[in-house]
Amino acid sequence: MTYLVLAYAFAVAALGGYLFWSLRRLRELERIQRGPS
Amino acid sequence: MNRYERAAVGAVALMLIAGAAIFFYAPTDYLQGPVQRIFYLHVSSAIAAFGCFAVVLVGGVIYLRNESPAADRFARAGALVGVLFTTVTLVMGMLWAKTVWGAFWVWDARLTSTLVLWIIYAGYLLVRRLADPGRQAARLAAVVGIFGFIDVPVVHFSVTWWRTQHPGPVIINDALPPQMLATFLFTMACTVALAAVMIASRYRIETLVDEREQVFEPAKVLVAREPGGVAGPVQ
Repeated sequence: MTYLVLAYAFAVAALGGYLFWSLRRLRELERIQRGPS
Repeated sequence: MNRYERAAVGAVALMLIAGAAIFFYAPTDYLQGPVQRIFYLHVSSAIAAFGCFAVVLVGGVIYLRNESPAADRFARAGALVGVLFTTVTLVMGMLWAKTVWGAFWVWDARLTSTLVLWIIYAGYLLVRRLADPGRQAARLAAVVGIFGFIDVPVVHFSVTWWRTQHPGPVIINDALPPQMLATFLFTMACTVALAAVMIASRYRIETLVDEREQVFEPAKVLVAREPGGVAGPVQ
């Protein structure tokens, strides 16, 4: 049971972490592209 | 909220439903117990990774044919997301192996070929990171991406070509009960959708970075403008 929890915790952290990071980076780049508002 | 964020929310919602199906709908395996539930995301991640590497292959071929920056960006996005899903596949598989085989790792054909796949595309990403951005790096990476894809069928058929500790195919051999099969197919569809959203948002990031750094701009003739004069090339 411990390994099952560890496996899904890793998957959530890796996939969720990457998705969150990439959306944040995208928002930042689009803000830079639009220029200061 | 932009369209990428809306798509991500949709993909996460689908993954949560898949998670509910894995833990509350799929029956517990009689032999392995609850740890068998690793199977659903472990195999789905591997299939999503294969799809990502197919994007790298197609992007690389198109880039070598017509030097399309868009194809190169798709290839870069596919490689990054593919390495992420391969990492998830490997780590989940290791944790499952520890329970059923008593060891995190064995040098079995399936595990080894998957590790080689990870190294090939991590190498691809390293080439992109270390080489000066531009046409030469894109061409080199396209070749690595195309030849690297040879390992994908090797990973897939490794369990039939060699005697391995890793179990053989259970989906095409009709070895899953209907509830397990339905849970697996739904999880696989959701995982592929998540990978597609990740590739799309990464593609957009690559586009914005390329535009900012003018990676694929044609060589420019520097132009000097003298006060009150006519523009002309710099000598």
